[in-house]
Amino acid sequence: MKFTEHRRTFLSAALAASLSLALAGPALAKDTVKVGFIGPLSGGVSNMGLGGRNSAALAVALRNQDPNAKYEYELEALDDECKPNVGVQVATKMATNRKVVGAVTHYCSAVAMGTVDIYHKFNMPMIVWAAVLPDITYGNEYPEVHRVNGTMINQNETAAEFMTGQGYKTWAIIHDTTDYGKGHNKYFSQFLTEKGGEILGTFGVTSDQQDFTAELTKIKELNPDVVYFGGLTPIAVRIRQQMDKLGIEAQFQGVSGIKSDAYFAGLSGDLAEGTVTFLEGAPAAKLPGGEYFMAEYEKAGFGEDFEAYGPFAFAAMNLLLDAIEEVGPDRKAVTEYLSDVKEHDSITGPITFDDHGQNTVALITKYVAQDGQWVVWEDSEYADGTRKLTGK
Amino acid sequence: MDIGLLGQYLANGVMLGTMYALVAVGFTLFFGVLDVIKFSHGDVLMLGSFTGFTVYIGVLAMGIENPWLMIAVILLVSIAATAALGALIARYLVLPLKSAPPLNILLITLMLGTAIREAVRLFYPDGSNPKAFPVLLPTASVDLGGFALRADSVILVGAGIAVIIGLNLLINRTRLGLAIRAVAQDEETAKIMGINYTMIVLVTFAIGSGAAAFAGIMNGLYYNEVNFGMGLLLGLIGFSAAIIGGLGNIYGAILGGFLFAGLQTVGAVALPFASAYKDVFAFGVVIALMAWKPTGLIAERSSDRV
Amino acid sequence: MKDKTTPKTGWLGLPPLAVGLGAVAAIVVFGWQFLLAESEIAVLGLVALAALGGWALGKTGIQDSLNEAMRSHNRSMNGAILLGLLAVIFLLGEEHFPLLMLTTMLLYMTVALGLNVQFGLTGMVNFAGAAFFGMGAYTSAVLTEHTAVPPLLILVAGGAIAAAIGFLLIVPVVRTAGHYSAVVTIAFGVLFKTFLEVNDVLGGPQGLMVGPMKLFGWDFNSSPMLLGMEMSFYANYALLGGGLAVLAFVLTQRLERSWLGLTLDSVRLDETASACFGLNVVRAKVLAFTFGNVLAGVAGALYGMMISFIAPNSFTFADSLLMVSIVLLGGLGSLWGTALAAAIVVLLPEKLQILQEYRFLLFSGLVILMLLFRPQGLLPRKVRSYFPSWRPQQ
Repeated sequence: MKFTEHRRTFLSAALAASLSLALAGPALAKDTVKVGFIGPLSGGVSNMGLGGRNSAALAVALRNQDPNAKYEYELEALDDECKPNVGVQVATKMATNRKVVGAVTHYCSAVAMGTVDIYHKFNMPMIVWAAVLPDITYGNEYPEVHRVNGTMINQNETAAEFMTGQGYKTWAIIHDTTDYGKGHNKYFSQFLTEKGGEILGTFGVTSDQQDFTAELTKIKELNPDVVYFGGLTPIAVRIRQQMDKLGIEAQFQGVSGIKSDAYFAGLSGDLAEGTVTFLEGAPAAKLPGGEYFMAEYEKAGFGEDFEAYGPFAFAAMNLLLDAIEEVGPDRKAVTEYLSDVKEHDSITGPITFDDHGQNTVALITKYVAQDGQWVVWEDSEYADGTRKLTGK
Repeated sequence: MDIGLLGQYLANGVMLGTMYALVAVGFTLFFGVLDVIKFSHGDVLMLGSFTGFTVYIGVLAMGIENPWLMIAVILLVSIAATAALGALIARYLVLPLKSAPPLNILLITLMLGTAIREAVRLFYPDGSNPKAFPVLLPTASVDLGGFALRADSVILVGAGIAVIIGLNLLINRTRLGLAIRAVAQDEETAKIMGINYTMIVLVTFAIGSGAAAFAGIMNGLYYNEVNFGMGLLLGLIGFSAAIIGGLGNIYGAILGGFLFAGLQTVGAVALPFASAYKDVFAFGVVIALMAWKPTGLIAERSSDRV
Repeated sequence: MKDKTTPKTGWLGLPPLAVGLGAVAAIVVFGWQFLLAESEIAVLGLVALAALGGWALGKTGIQDSLNEAMRSHNRSMNGAILLGLLAVIFLLGEEHFPLLMLTTMLLYMTVALGLNVQFGLTGMVNFAGAAFFGMGAYTSAVLTEHTAVPPLLILVAGGAIAAAIGFLLIVPVVRTAGHYSAVVTIAFGVLFKTFLEVNDVLGGPQGLMVGPMKLFGWDFNSSPMLLGMEMSFYANYALLGGGLAVLAFVLTQRLERSWLGLTLDSVRLDETASACFGLNVVRAKVLAFTFGNVLAGVAGALYGMMISFIAPNSFTFADSLLMVSIVLLGGLGSLWGTALAAAIVVLLPEKLQILQEYRFLLFSGLVILMLLFRPQGLLPRKVRSYFPSWRPQQ
């Protein structure tokens, strides 16, 4: 009979339905506090993002091992792919999730510029761990925004001084057209002209550009001493490659964005040799808490290196956890606590936030690429004269 | 603008043109034979480059040092692999849909291209990052009054043109080519004449994909880089080039390839503020050309059954 | 024409209308729980439930009752569906992210409906859907930041700009057919994104901030109070987005059922024959193309205002392909299919985080399978019925 047939099917459907619903039951409540991490976990600069995430995870794990900690911490890591639109999406997702108390965010300045408004809109306190564009903290009056690493201003000032000190006179500047590259261009050009360098030409390139023949051909014509690149590693690799193809014999100078191992992985032969770059903060080994951090990172056995900004991510996460321990898992309370941070201890040294939430990191380290590794300038064979930079 | 600069642009343009022409020839072959647009061509090219890269790693591990030998092995393996892939795609994705509206095949191959691209990005170790393709060609260069004529560019262009001429000869002077042209002209009659239809289709796809692999390796050797997204733009450019020249016509495809490269170069030269505008310029011209001549510069000689 | 069959007794002896209303209520509860579900297991469980439900519909005869309900009690069913949508929005109340997802889905649905008119009805493939969507978004960005144009007009402006730029493409699109016209739209889609990226005036790769929507002085970015409960401000956008989607759906349905729809169908099936019969093929194509673009533009304008930040990277060729996938998955020319496919394509990857990375791969694979084995889509378009209550003798 059709009716009983239907009934059988209905009953079995109902049984299956209730089973599925049982699986969908609500999670049990726990005394856990969620903290967030956002960085580029995939794409061209993923090694930096993964290094930062591992460092933040390390901080959370170490805190969970601490018997004096008041809460159990859970890290939620999201991937912003170094793209502003994706960053906005994941930032919205994290900020609208009331269970996340605060987050350590962003390597890519371009992404951070887009997301600061979201953190403010949803009142979620955050600490930047690697983005260097000054406008992220100075371009707004949001109490939620803080940063433990330095800005690109100091970096470019030191760079200008150092390179003019080496005796170079003329520059061609290539920068990517995101706010990050434009920021580098602005500050470096400003300091360079102050120190007496001459800029022969400035070229903007898109962050996924493949072919630089047009720009490099013009640069070849201009014949500068140094080619400066303000942008991230994938493009730096391509430019360096194509510079060599066109026979441009200028010194290649980069910014903190190229201080990564991927720079060497992408270049064949000894093209990377002799490139100079700059990074704020001391090298990991020379940081106040550097030895401790490196030992713990090694012990944890992560697959990836902590890269240039891992220590900052670690310090930022620890600061956030300290705040939560002090005032509890409440966004407004944490924001208030963070606005008043003075001489707070961390592995990168004492952290003090100014009225815009910016920490001062005065020290800039110069690096030179030597034998497939970034070596601190003072320790390198270039400083003592055994090897020479291009054109010297 | 001095001769040196002009020469540099010209050299670059010729280089790009050869690459685009190779891709466009593939499109045109597929269309001629089966009346289909296999949009996954660009991503098959990318797969060919990645295969070449993987082979390189393998060859290096085996201890072979001679660059020419390495290039030969890389080319051989990746062309063979890509040709096989092309034939597989024809057999399982294109032939079954022969009777469906042609747009379906365009769509299915478009989606296939996306699937290949994403698969490489997700499953190839560290797929989302660009990979450094080895420098295998001699790096000597001759300085011709202001611009450097590099040995590897000359070799690549020469090889590319040789392949194009070879394909041309294959299609126009051999029995296999005769069979391909017969199938392209009239499927039923060709079958009646005793030509193995399926075999010819598979062979054509294999040839086209093999040419794409060659173009991909060329690209890798020139830029010393392969990345998972290179296929999309190259495929689109190849497609546009084939269309400009008129689908189904090999000479049209070659013409289209060089024309597109020319447009890009003119765009890069004439619009100094951002060379990225060259793509906007080139595609804009393509759209305008389509508006003027809806079936390409060398018009399709076809009739529609009403 | 009179309905010659006797009124059917529906499933389990209940009248079709009751079955229909019951189904709507079930979908509302399901949708509400689905959007709120957090753990992956919960989501997978709900998806399994939905798949089970879909399969059971066909087997247990509920499907026929639903069809009957939609046919004979059209007004009430439509009203119920509308109420159901409102109910989901109110039930979600304070939750920001689920409402954001719901609205995104509704807006993508609107665009897909427009694309469906272009592709499903008229046979014009448009691979630049995301570009027109982006045009609307950029229009709202520019107009909210630099002018004092009332936001409601901005929505209209978004549609107008999309249509205007569409006109630039009209000549090549109308003159070409099949793969030639495909290349025109693909080239345009790529061109659009590249243009936005290199152009500093429109923000370049950094993108632009977009101001909020304001309706008669009420700022959409402020949370509405309802029954003493402070709702998420996304509820405002959800309501407006829902209204937009409903409007688009109604318009598209009317268009499909009218003489114009018939014209579009015949142009798709055979251009030469249509021309022979005296139909103005060019006018039909222009109408369809513009209609689709307007829908995309208006949806884009609202989208921009909702997420308040847009960048060229949101409107790439891959996103256009995603929209085409929605149309293909749902079924060409099928409106309810588009709605279902939009829900699947937009909501599923968001909910199943493991899928998020694989979503392009997954959906392209799905579309390939669809095209091979079920080219008519998930909810195939039904044979055109000239009179709503008439059915051919079975």
